[in-house]
Amino acid sequence: MAEKDISRYLRQSHDRVFEHNKAWAAEKKASDPDFFTNLSAGQSPEYLWIGCSDSRIPAEQITGLEPGDAFVHRNIANLVCNTDLNAMSVITYAVQHLKVKHIVVCGHYGCGGVKAAMTAKDLGILNPWLRNIRDVYRLHEKELDAIEDEEARYNRLVELNVIEQCRNVVKTAGVQQSYAQNSFPIVHGWVFGFNDGLLKDLKVDFEGMLKDIQKIYNLTE
Amino acid sequence: MAEEDHFLYALSSNNAWAGYKAHQNPQFFPKLASGQSPKILWLGCSDSRCPETTILGLQPGDVFVHRNIANIISPTDINTSAVIEYAVAHLKVKHVVLVGHTACGGAAASLSDNRVGGVLDTWLTPLKAVRYANLEELNAIKDDKARATRIAELNVEAGVKVLMANMTIQDAIQERGLEVHGCLFDIGCGKIKDLGFGTKGRHGFGINGTDEIVRGKHAQLVFRGGNASMAVRP
Repeated sequence: MAEKDISRYLRQSHDRVFEHNKAWAAEKKASDPDFFTNLSAGQSPEYLWIGCSDSRIPAEQITGLEPGDAFVHRNIANLVCNTDLNAMSVITYAVQHLKVKHIVVCGHYGCGGVKAAMTAKDLGILNPWLRNIRDVYRLHEKELDAIEDEEARYNRLVELNVIEQCRNVVKTAGVQQSYAQNSFPIVHGWVFGFNDGLLKDLKVDFEGMLKDIQKIYNLTE
Repeated sequence: MAEEDHFLYALSSNNAWAGYKAHQNPQFFPKLASGQSPKILWLGCSDSRCPETTILGLQPGDVFVHRNIANIISPTDINTSAVIEYAVAHLKVKHVVLVGHTACGGAAASLSDNRVGGVLDTWLTPLKAVRYANLEELNAIKDDKARATRIAELNVEAGVKVLMANMTIQDAIQERGLEVHGCLFDIGCGKIKDLGFGTKGRHGFGINGTDEIVRGKHAQLVFRGGNASMAVRP
């Protein structure tokens, strides 16, 4: 493509977004004239969604939730790391200030981040981030090594990663203290499948997990 | 239990959505499963009122997303850095869009002298710095909402500067014309405004602009009335 064509293409793909946004805003206003006025008044979402940055998983669309329903954090491979102030700030704000009732960690099969972490390759600045997934593998090395089919092993790592990140959410002071006081939030682990568009509930036993974790990570005092 | 209802609602709603999408287009999910090639990286706020793909009127597969408290871009934040690296160097998105919004809780917190608590005060430090750097201007704004909107804009401007200093982004701008944009989402009307920061410069661009400028390596390409012309920058 000539430079002129590239520029025009970039303009068009950029402008398309604004055109769609205008149409969306008009449609919302037509169906409910107070929609944006109500939104401006504040948020009180029921959910905190911690998901993958992957473009194929827009949290609100796949769950049918409206603007205002879910507080959202998305990063590479839906990780919740102890020293990551970014995700920790999100959890703190969602739990202590917005008082969300549910925290959903949602992974997805075919996750590029999980796949990258299974690859013997130096990925620069991605290394420290993806290291956390390699750690999940090490924690479940026996189970994963026993799975012969590569695709199945990869899918299982996606699930185990979600469960491990749920555990990391439960380890936070905010969640433990809020649950002791209010009996919420409850932490859930889900996996999204591209093949059918459905969410699979991994049925994380939240209370059991919390009890286990508090042997060592109790921060309620 | 009321709480369980919300949870079940989301899951059953997903079931309905998947059924609807597959009915509408049987190839929808098989195509998604084959991979992603998003054109846009959206860096926005976690605020529940800013669902990027919904407000852009786009579809799953279109927008790679990172959302954090007050859409703060810190150069040493490994979380955001990993997202940028993956989106720009590996997925090769064409646009990086940093989007702030009106009525932002993080903006309000940074305009206050009270502690928010926990790790949040540390996280909001860059936004506090923006406040102190623009104290006079912000203090002159009497209306609280207008002041919060202004600091949200200044926050986007500061964030875009950090993005423009990111080596991976710099390389992509040089090598393949990656574009960086700074925008503001107005929750009060649902519309996104291009603030004109980033690769465009401040002037002559945007939905309200008459001239549209795309900067090449050494020149500006100006679209005017269907014609394009090149202007060499000093």
